[in-house]
Amino acid sequence: MLRFDRRLLQHFDWVMLLMLLLVSGMALINLYSATYSADTGVSGIFYRQLLFFTVGLVSIVLVITQDYQKLAKLGFVLYFFTLILLLYTLLFVKTIGGAQRWIDLGFFNLQPSEPAKLILILVLASYYANTEVAGGYRLRDLIKPVILTIIPFVLVLKQPDLGTALILVVIFVTLTLFVKLRWATIGILGGSGLLCAFVGWKYLLKEYQRKRIETFLNPESDPMHHGYQILQSKIAVGSGQVFGKGFLEGTQGHLHFLPERHTDFAFAVWAEEWGFAGSVFFLSCYFFMLIWGVNIAMSAKDKLGTVLAFGCVMLIFWQAVINLFMIMGLLPVVGVPLPLFSYGGSSLLTNMLAIGLLMNVRMRSFPASPVPSPDFRP
Amino acid sequence: MLKRVSAKIMDALPVFFKKMQRNNKQNRKRAEPLLDSGRRHDGGVTPLHQRDESNLNGFKKKALYSLALLTIFFAIAITRLWFLQIQEGERYSQLADSNRVRALEIVAPRGNIYDRRGREIVTNRPSFNVTWVRESNRIDDAWLKNLTRILNQDASVLLERVRKMSGVPAHIPVRLAEDIDWETVARIENSRMHLPGIKIEVVPLRVYHYGNLASHLIGYLGEISREELDRMDRQVYRGGDIIGKMGLERLREPDLRGEKGREFMEVNALGFEQRNLKGLEPLPGNDLYLTLDMELQKIAEDLMAEGNRAGAVVAMEINTGRMLVLASAPALHLEEFIGGISHRAWQEMLDNPLHPLVNKLVQGQYPPASTYKAVTALAGLSEGIITPESTYYCPGHFRFGNRIYRCWRRGGHGHVDLKKAMAESCDVYFYNVGLKLGVDRIARYARMFGFGALTGIEMEHEKPGLVPTADWKRRRHGEPWMEGETTSIAIGQGFNLVTPVQLNMMTAGIANGGTIFQPAIVERVVDPDGQVIEVFEPNILHRLTGQGRWLKLIRDGMVEAVNGQRGTGRRARLDAEGIIVGGKTGTGQVVRLKQYRGLKDEDIPYRFRDHAWFTCFAPANNPEIAVTVLVEHGLHGSSVAAPIAAAVLNGYFEDKFREQARAVEQEELRSRQPVMLSEDMLIDVGFPVYEDDDTWLPAGQPSH
Repeated sequence: MLRFDRRLLQHFDWVMLLMLLLVSGMALINLYSATYSADTGVSGIFYRQLLFFTVGLVSIVLVITQDYQKLAKLGFVLYFFTLILLLYTLLFVKTIGGAQRWIDLGFFNLQPSEPAKLILILVLASYYANTEVAGGYRLRDLIKPVILTIIPFVLVLKQPDLGTALILVVIFVTLTLFVKLRWATIGILGGSGLLCAFVGWKYLLKEYQRKRIETFLNPESDPMHHGYQILQSKIAVGSGQVFGKGFLEGTQGHLHFLPERHTDFAFAVWAEEWGFAGSVFFLSCYFFMLIWGVNIAMSAKDKLGTVLAFGCVMLIFWQAVINLFMIMGLLPVVGVPLPLFSYGGSSLLTNMLAIGLLMNVRMRSFPASPVPSPDFRP
Repeated sequence: MLKRVSAKIMDALPVFFKKMQRNNKQNRKRAEPLLDSGRRHDGGVTPLHQRDESNLNGFKKKALYSLALLTIFFAIAITRLWFLQIQEGERYSQLADSNRVRALEIVAPRGNIYDRRGREIVTNRPSFNVTWVRESNRIDDAWLKNLTRILNQDASVLLERVRKMSGVPAHIPVRLAEDIDWETVARIENSRMHLPGIKIEVVPLRVYHYGNLASHLIGYLGEISREELDRMDRQVYRGGDIIGKMGLERLREPDLRGEKGREFMEVNALGFEQRNLKGLEPLPGNDLYLTLDMELQKIAEDLMAEGNRAGAVVAMEINTGRMLVLASAPALHLEEFIGGISHRAWQEMLDNPLHPLVNKLVQGQYPPASTYKAVTALAGLSEGIITPESTYYCPGHFRFGNRIYRCWRRGGHGHVDLKKAMAESCDVYFYNVGLKLGVDRIARYARMFGFGALTGIEMEHEKPGLVPTADWKRRRHGEPWMEGETTSIAIGQGFNLVTPVQLNMMTAGIANGGTIFQPAIVERVVDPDGQVIEVFEPNILHRLTGQGRWLKLIRDGMVEAVNGQRGTGRRARLDAEGIIVGGKTGTGQVVRLKQYRGLKDEDIPYRFRDHAWFTCFAPANNPEIAVTVLVEHGLHGSSVAAPIAAAVLNGYFEDKFREQARAVEQEELRSRQPVMLSEDMLIDVGFPVYEDDDTWLPAGQPSH
């Protein structure tokens, strides 16, 4: 049995758990509707996600029992393990729908690029926590984190999965900006980033990826494909109006006008069925969950805790922003799910683990209690 | 400033969360670390600021920035939601509806067209089409085999129809067969199970019970053209609609079309129907009851067709303006127009020397010839130029200036008074009268009869004809009127042009004592509920006031023309029925070419032969019907046109007497039926009961 400091129980992060349950509850309700069919009733997808959610809760319990310091030390092992999985995916997995993303484990299709995000945060956080540079990081101090990011980035991009690759870069950028950088470093990185974007656009992006961005910038040029998805998504959201069409009553979702309605466009189903009121309620819960995460980062007892917590918040935050903005027609169609909301086992587990890490940091941010609890036995 | 605000928030945020925590652990009194709210009060502003600045952990500052970032994005998301769901919500809601709801239009049955006796002229019949909704893009072999067997069609024909629709969205059905018979419908219904996706579509089709009779009047239907679509009400018409293209079908389109029904269907993204929403039944069009008598029309058209003649036959009730016959020959082949006429058939009609496309009733303008002498006679009498007794001597020609105008009878008519002039159509008599009158006075009387103006009959592209005046010639040709030309005008040649309908109006006006009625075609319009929404009322165009006496004289002349020993219209006699007819012949010159003069009729090329007129009224003592016949290039009104008019009159009176006899019979029947059957008596009689057939039983009766 795992050794567990019962003191930690006193500091258990009920707030985060409550927010997690609220958000996940809405996610499950929405998934039920999004996958419900009048002919076949409740979809198996719903039960699968329910199972993943339960597994996620168990994983959270496991994660919070271990000090995040210990977990960070494990980070590099996990990192290499993930790289191997990504490589394996690229080399041995057959293409599904033009991409190689999933490893078939029999009971479950693992998408290694999902945990890769969290593990990147783990290794970056432990690197930044262990290297203290007076006056901010220089360019040469960033060589290691850049390499740490670039390897999974390239592997994911080759799958090809632009959305996840983008998230990896965003995580790196946010975390690196979070730890102190020299202005020169920022300038050089920014400049080379722009250069990379240019080169990437010109030579690296696949035709369909370029098309998506072009479509977004000029929706009339491609009305039947990605412009169509965005349009249908906007119609779904907009037609929800103030109070929505009601549970299971969304026409855009149930009549298949909405693409990917239980994965990337899940929130559009929510907005259609619950309207502005439901959407604001959901976003407020989500927002509060993230703010609570920032609070955890600010109150962490050490640098690793702060950077790790911050990374977890940013992981969820950026994915959410990209996903929501895509659904509301503010961004091009990028395959990024809404964390804790979209269907997908790998994504759900990863993001629940991120929440678990946040709770972990929170529980260990309190100084040892001067007065031991009456039932405390060392 | 900004820094100070951010510092305050920085400071306040952990405090806020700490407070929350403290509230969670309500009963635990514990010293809170880092709680500096007390000090803030005594310390004032400056020291606080300095202390924060120095104490700030770099990360915490960054975390604050990230809070700002979060808040900004949250705000953007909410704003965007507000924009999409509240501001634009209505629009997106409509877009969502137009996504999911498909309206199917159901064609309304067009109104029927009946004649004056309620005989069906045009009605609808249901036609059954076989359609297929392509729920999958694969064609099952067994399915196809079944279908080819039932439809008795080659598989390649069916596949070709499917192929043609390959560019069209899948939810729009493919029409596999049109207008299939009842038996095939039954067979398809029986093997429903083996023919998934196959549906029977019912579409009303026009049925012409009298074939091509009155085809110019009835008109035909066709697919709406782009130009029509632009012109018509967008609310009512869509591309692909069937619309009246000619005749009453076009002119009465608003009456006949009815209102389309709508079927609302919820469809999914692939366009397949999910469920029916509530729809709207189509409303049939209004029925038209015409003034026409189709049996008379048939007599007229058959006779015209017999000699393969081109021309027109008009018959009208003289005291109302109701048109009984409106025939333009040759007729159109209405069946050829169903589903769009072929280019070849169209070209054939254009090339036909008999010009079937021209509605000769109102679009054909011909010199009225001798029939016009009635106008000259009326003008002469009314203006006091002649009296019934005044005579002119006709030596067979008339010298005016240095020109000689001939009478149609070379030998001359001798001394001619009005009656004789009308009966024998003496040209010289009217040369004299015409010259005394002058062209403008003749024109005035011509106008009174409605010549030179549109009659307003419900037919398309009506021509006004032409009543020449001196003024007109100056304007039109820039030349003064030559007096010699008046001689031509007086006998209806020269510039004069009339349509057969106009000429019949003149005869009717002469016959009824001077009232010119507008020719009417539609007796009444009845809506699908049986409500009469429009009913015919006589419309008087002109009244020839004070001319009664003179018109009587003209009538006498016309009666003489038919019944006199030497009358020109003897072929129009109706001795058999005991009806006395009054009429006038006319032979309209087409060209005045010397080379054809004196030739035998058969030797003159068709297009240079004279037009034959006959216009008449009956019965002479109390006229009720006027008939006018024009045979294009028919040479002689007396021999060609008059018998047709006689046949129409004969038909009219036969029918009339038959109806009268029937009315008398019925009246007698009614008077011989003194006792009404009461209900008790019916029960006494008892119902017959058939063991094996209970279908006849009234509702509520137990069946055995």
